[in-house]
Amino acid sequence: MELISARHPLTIFVGSGGVGKTTLAAAAGVLAARSGRGTLVMTFDPSLRLKDALGVGEEAREREVPVDLTSLGLGLGAERGRLDASLLDARRTFDRLVERYAPDADSRQRILGNRFYQHLSGSLGGILEYMAVERLFEVAAAGRYDQVILDTPPTRQALDFLEAPRRIVGFLDSGALKLALKPWFDAEGRLQATARWGGLGRRAERFLDEVVGLDLLRDMAEFFQAFAPLYAGFRERAAAVEALLAAERTLFVLVSGPGEERIPDTLFFARRLEQAGYRLGPIVVNRVHPRNDPRDTAAGAITPAAATDPCRPDGRELLRWLGERDHRGLRSLADLLPGRPLVSLPLLAEEPTDLPALAALGEDLERRLAAL
Amino acid sequence: MGILERLARRELVVVTGKGGVGKTAVSAALGVALARRGRRVLVVEVDPRENVHQMLGVAPSGGAIVSAGPRLWVQNLKPQQVLDEIVREQVKVPFLADRVLASAIYQQFAAGAPGLKELAILGHGFRLRRRGRMDGETDGWLGGTPGAPELDVVVLDAPATGHGVALLAAPQLVAEVIHQGPFGRLAAELARLAADPARLGVAVVTQAEEMPVEEALELRTALAARLDRAPELLVVNGLYPPVYPHAPRAHAAHDAEDPLADLWRRRRALNERELARLLAAWREGPAPSPVLELPQLPADRGRALTEALAGCLEASAAAAGEAGWS
Repeated sequence: MELISARHPLTIFVGSGGVGKTTLAAAAGVLAARSGRGTLVMTFDPSLRLKDALGVGEEAREREVPVDLTSLGLGLGAERGRLDASLLDARRTFDRLVERYAPDADSRQRILGNRFYQHLSGSLGGILEYMAVERLFEVAAAGRYDQVILDTPPTRQALDFLEAPRRIVGFLDSGALKLALKPWFDAEGRLQATARWGGLGRRAERFLDEVVGLDLLRDMAEFFQAFAPLYAGFRERAAAVEALLAAERTLFVLVSGPGEERIPDTLFFARRLEQAGYRLGPIVVNRVHPRNDPRDTAAGAITPAAATDPCRPDGRELLRWLGERDHRGLRSLADLLPGRPLVSLPLLAEEPTDLPALAALGEDLERRLAAL
Repeated sequence: MGILERLARRELVVVTGKGGVGKTAVSAALGVALARRGRRVLVVEVDPRENVHQMLGVAPSGGAIVSAGPRLWVQNLKPQQVLDEIVREQVKVPFLADRVLASAIYQQFAAGAPGLKELAILGHGFRLRRRGRMDGETDGWLGGTPGAPELDVVVLDAPATGHGVALLAAPQLVAEVIHQGPFGRLAAELARLAADPARLGVAVVTQAEEMPVEEALELRTALAARLDRAPELLVVNGLYPPVYPHAPRAHAAHDAEDPLADLWRRRRALNERELARLLAAWREGPAPSPVLELPQLPADRGRALTEALAGCLEASAAAAGEAGWS
C-alpha cells in the first residue's frame, strides 16, 4: 500500500484531536515533494515549532507559501519536488465565499456586517470543517499541484467533518431560510408563522418574542434575506465539495491514538467514512509504546527506589504496561477492521519538529505501509 | 486552605482543555476529591459516549442523574433537552409547548443562535444546584429540576470542541442579544456567575507537551481578556514519572542497550522542559493559580484509576501548599 500515489492526488488526514494528524500530514507532504511531486500541505493550527520547521508564518493564512527544502537537498522553487504550505482560516474562507457570490457590494456589506453572521462561525457546528473542505476544493480546481494534502481540524466527534457539506446545505434549506424569503413580520409587526395560529398563536408569539428576543430574530431574518441571492451558488458549491470527497482520486488516511480507549473513536470514524462512500486508505495508529523489547533485560540501570509512592510509578513498569495496552488496542482494532491496512508508528523519544525529522517520519510510515 | 478546599466551596467548577489531554479523567478525579471533602458533588459530562461514567465505574445512564458513591453523582447532559425543558416549563400548556418546539423558528433559533447551547450547559448545573436553596425567590424554572439531589458543587467536564472560553463567555454573548424572557434572565444570571471566581471555578487541564502548553497559555490570556478573570487551577496531566535522582546514572552507551530506560528518560526530559516553560509563563503576573501535576498510571480506565488520580491530586495539592503555590 502506498501513502502517496498518482492515483490519489488528494489525501485527507482525519482523526480525533491530539493524535498527531498535523505532524503526519506535514511528513506526508515532505515525502511527496521528495518523490518529485509538486505538493501543497494545508494545515489547521500547527504548533509553533512545526510552523518554524515549515518556515511559514501568518502570511500562509492568505496564500500558499513555499517551504525551503534545501536542508533536504532540494532547491527552493524547483519545478519538481516543490512543497508549499498554507494555514486554514475558517472565517477568512467564509468571507471570501461571501465576497465571491454576493451580487453587489451592498448585499456583501449587509452580510459581513450582520451580527448573526459574525457569531455564526463559532456557533454553527461543522462550519470550520466545511471551510477546510471548501478550501481544498478551491485549490483542487486551480490544478496547480500534483498532490494536495489536507490536515483537518481537531474534531472529537468525527461526524462534524464528514457531514459538514450536507449540514451546510441542510442549514440553508431549513425552514428559517424559507421563512426568511417571505417577510417574517406582517403589516402589524406580528410574526407570520404565529399569526396563523389564532389565540394560541398570539401566546406563542409573545413567548417567542420573550424567549428568543425579537432583536436576535431580526438579525437572523436579515442574515437569511441577505444570504438569499448567494444561496444557489453556495448550495451548488457544497454539493460539488461533497462529490470531491467521494471521488476516486481522494484518499482518506485515518490517524488514531494508541490504547484501547481510542478504539471506539477510530472504529466510528472508519465506519462513517465507509458509509459515506469515501475511500478509506491506511489507518495509522500513532505514538504506540514499544512492547517486550528482547534486549530489555538491563535491570538495575534505574532502580525502583520509591515504589511505595503510587503517584510515582516505576517508569519501566509504566512503559511496559503502556506497551501491552497499546498492542492490545492494535490487536482489537485489527480484529474489528479485518482486511483494512493498519500500521502503527512508535512513540518517539522526541517529537519530530524539523524537516529532517519530518522526512524520516514520512519514510518510516511509507516503509511500514509497503511492508503490509 | 488548600486549593481543593477552595474549589469545594464553588457552586460550579468548569474543567476545560483541548481534546486528548485527559480532561475527563481529571473531571472524575476532581469530583471524587471534592466529595471526599464532605461536599455533595455532581459531575456533568456532555458526550454521548459517557466516559465520565466509565471513569467513575458507573454504567451509562443515558441522561439520568445516577449515584456514583457517597456524596457523588454523575450525569450525561444533552443541551437541546435543557433548552426544550425550559420551554416546557415556561409554556405551561403542553399542546402549545409542542407547537413551539416543533416550529421552524424555535428549531432554527435553538440550533443557530450563538452561544445558546453553551448557555444550556452552564445553566443546567446552575439550575440543579439552586434546587431547594432559593425557595423564597424562585420563579419556577430558575429553581431547578424536580427529583435532583441537593448539591453543593457541580463539576462540569466541558466539551472539547472549540475554545474553553467560548463556553464561559456564552452568557455574556446571549445577554447582549436577548434582553428579556427566561433565556435573557438566565444569560444575565450566568454572566454574573461566570465572572465571579468566588462562585465559579475554572480548572485548566493540559499536558507537558508543546501544543497543549501553548493552548493552556492562550486559554489563560483569553479568560483575562474576555471575562477579566483567571483560572483557579492548572492541572498538568499524563506526566511520565520522574527518574529517581538517587539512582546511579546510566551511561549513554548503556541507554542504547536499554531502550525502555532511554525512552523513559527522554520523554520525562521532554515533560520537564515543557513544564518549566509552562510554569515560567504561568507564574508571571499577580496571584498565579496553583499548578498540580498528575502522573500516567499503569491502570485501565475505571473507578480504581480515578480514585488513584484523586489521591495524586491531593498529594500534589499538599506539595503545592508547602511550596507556597497554593
